Amino acid sequence: MKPTPNADREPPDKWEVQLRKGCLELAILASLWGGELYGLEILRRLASDSELIVSEGTVYPLLSRLKSLGLVESKWVESDAGHPRKYYLLTPSGRERAIEMAQIWSRFSAGLGRLLVPLGKGTAR
Amino acid sequence: MTISSESQKRIDAYLKRVRKGLRGMASDDADEIIAELRSHILDRAAADGGEATAAGVDAAIKGLGSPESLAGQYTTEELMARAQVSRSPIVLMETLFRWAGLSAGGFFVCLGALFGYGMAIILVLCAVLKPFHPHTTGVWQSTERSGGLSLSIDLGMDSSTPAGKEILGWWIIPIGLFLGYGLFVSTTRFALWSIRQYRNARELPRP
Repeated sequence: MKPTPNADREPPDKWEVQLRKGCLELAILASLWGGELYGLEILRRLASDSELIVSEGTVYPLLSRLKSLGLVESKWVESDAGHPRKYYLLTPSGRERAIEMAQIWSRFSAGLGRLLVPLGKGTAR
Repeated sequence: MTISSESQKRIDAYLKRVRKGLRGMASDDADEIIAELRSHILDRAAADGGEATAAGVDAAIKGLGSPESLAGQYTTEELMARAQVSRSPIVLMETLFRWAGLSAGGFFVCLGALFGYGMAIILVLCAVLKPFHPHTTGVWQSTERSGGLSLSIDLGMDSSTPAGKEILGWWIIPIGLFLGYGLFVSTTRFALWSIRQYRNARELPRP
């Protein structure tokens, strides 16, 4: 997906903020699908693979909630950088939840997409 | 990786303020959060050049936001997780007590829930005890000297019959159980709803 120009400069409207927030949980679970990552890697994955540019101060507390919900687990790993890093990985119930959320999302976005078809024609260049 | 002692001090000062905001959380959990944030700041500060610079540390700290609001997000997320995992009123009340220490809103919600659960327990107890103390358990209506009307619920633990007129009689058993249960359920819903509102009210800031 190509990043929209000015996406970072435009003040997000309230609806967009809520929408992003609502999707963040799924985005984080999805970013861990391929294997374990530490916090900063998750942030980078979110920024590079989606337009979900979110504040760091939001992702870490959310990770800690996902952990208390049992959807992810974590472990400390020593790194070359000289300090340990906290890696997150999906638990079996986290995988289940991610699939479930992805299905809900697909159904929802396909349905809304059909409804939005006429709007797209109106703005087509 | 090397890092100047000045930057180190800045990181320590920031994390100390976050740690202060996490009071009330289990000490192990809070320590782990601080360790993770420290690791993040060091990685983030080093991300651009390989060496952590003072400017990098400042940017990393700025990216995390104010220490108070960061700690606030952690505690809210934890409250939410606990309330979601368990519907037990004991866990919920414990959570609300913590929340009460964090904000004025939490204080009032906690007070409301305390009242709700308290009344629910009294109503149910009243219904349960009625068969054992038929003359002293129930709801009594009396006119006060000032002319005001007062209702009192009596559990009948002492032998003296309360003053005034008993208004429900044996009806206290079904009514007490029904109202008590209803109040119990609605108090739980109210508490969970309030926590969700509180969480949704926090906007997601963008960098």
